[in-house]
Amino acid sequence: MTGLLAQLGSWGIETLTRLGRAHLLLLPMMRGFLDILRRPRLLLDQLFSVGVLTILIISVAGLFVGMVLGLQGFYILSRFGGETALGLMVAASLVRELGPVLTALLFAGRAGSALTAEIGLMKATEQLSGLEMMAVNPEHRVLAPRFFAGFISVPLLAAIFSMLGVLGGWMVGGGMLSVDQGAFWNGMQNGIDFHDDIINGVIKSVVFGFVCTWIAIFQGYDCVPTSEGVSRATTRTVVHSSLAVLGLDFVLTALMFS
Amino acid sequence: MKQPESKQQSTPLVRIRGLRFRRGSRWIFDGLDVDIPLGRVTAIMGPSGTGKTTLLKLIGGQLRPDEGTIEVDGENVHALSTPELYRLRMRMGMLFQSGALLTDISVFENVAFPLREHTRLTESMLRKLVLLKLEAVGLRGARDLMPSELSGGMARRVALARAIALDPMMIMYDEPFTGQDPISMGVLVQLIRRLNDAARITSIVVSHDVAETLEIADQVYVISNGKVVESGSPAQLQESGGEWTRQFIQGLPDGPVPFHYPGPGLQEDLLEKSL
Repeated sequence: MTGLLAQLGSWGIETLTRLGRAHLLLLPMMRGFLDILRRPRLLLDQLFSVGVLTILIISVAGLFVGMVLGLQGFYILSRFGGETALGLMVAASLVRELGPVLTALLFAGRAGSALTAEIGLMKATEQLSGLEMMAVNPEHRVLAPRFFAGFISVPLLAAIFSMLGVLGGWMVGGGMLSVDQGAFWNGMQNGIDFHDDIINGVIKSVVFGFVCTWIAIFQGYDCVPTSEGVSRATTRTVVHSSLAVLGLDFVLTALMFS
Repeated sequence: MKQPESKQQSTPLVRIRGLRFRRGSRWIFDGLDVDIPLGRVTAIMGPSGTGKTTLLKLIGGQLRPDEGTIEVDGENVHALSTPELYRLRMRMGMLFQSGALLTDISVFENVAFPLREHTRLTESMLRKLVLLKLEAVGLRGARDLMPSELSGGMARRVALARAIALDPMMIMYDEPFTGQDPISMGVLVQLIRRLNDAARITSIVVSHDVAETLEIADQVYVISNGKVVESGSPAQLQESGGEWTRQFIQGLPDGPVPFHYPGPGLQEDLLEKSL
């Protein structure tokens, strides 16, 4: 019993310590923004590798999720003769929930894990130490551009996800299932509120982008610099990001729509 | 102004006093005193795990000691603010065991990196400087290669070119000969000596490759159990009567550093298992 309590205590202390280190890392990363202003090329390079290279998976996923929403929505709504509300249902689901959440989950899997592995390997191969010894702050030079690239990319990727999702829903509803196209678009236009739906969706994706990128970068920077350590850190990035996104989604939804 | 030779040789550029540092409950250094003289090659030797690389990280301010002081060029490294420490590091070079080249940029860009970060040289001036540095290590022709296309020895030479890019006052070499073939090793031995003699760069070589290190060192410190066991010129060490130093220099399998890891006796262990 005592051993169990000791283990629990040790785990608690270790978790709190890591959480503390993660918060301490935020400050220098924020300060690194000044370096980015002086050399925007650093940010542009990362926007490409973190954001642009994630567009394909986001686009394909968005399209298919929209198509499935169109199908499922049609079968349920048609029971009540409400097929004309299909556009509203698809758009609201995407903009409010699925767009930000699924984008963040996919981002954590594709770009987040890549960020962790890259930074972890830079640590394992002493590249970060090398930068320090060249009087270059790795938190400003390496971490900050990646952090801001992730932070900027996720809301834009979520917008692409939602846009293609709506397109997928329309292709199924309007194309395959003969839902009236006017009703589809009209219902969407009338039903979607700019502040309640779109702005709240954007806020969610901004928060998710911040959290997912922060977790990915911290895990890479804090990993044990061995192949096993990098592998564990990459796994932790995906697991922690996914749990954080799902948990935060509930909290944000409760705050925004209650 | 250049100091006279005798003064250069007697003035320590790095002065370590009463250094204590631990990882967990294990003391890596327990009252270490070392002087690195200006303009000479000083070797820090000792078996694996004695904290040689840790010592370089302490000198470079990447780690903080539990007790004691490290002064580089008269500045207490661990009392400096971050900008002051970074300014001091611009006058230090370090050659990492792995080379630590940035893997996503070419050889040329790796050597140009510190110049781009810390100077405002024109592109043509920067190109000339980088080519001269690469020429010094014999790799001007490899400037367009990526780090993944280099052999281990070439990577270390590129890292050396990068380390001297800002004309530092001293260079720290972390196990420069480990894993090198005889030709690369010979090249690195010559380069370290030549750079030291030609540019009057103070060199600290951390290594357990005895023959190569003794060939180029002016002064050697042998460390074990967190303390300096012996120090002196290579000739003095080779003639040392100290048991520990003799075992290390001659590579004897048993001695003060035992062949067997401490544990219960063999008979006791075998009997216990058969019960």
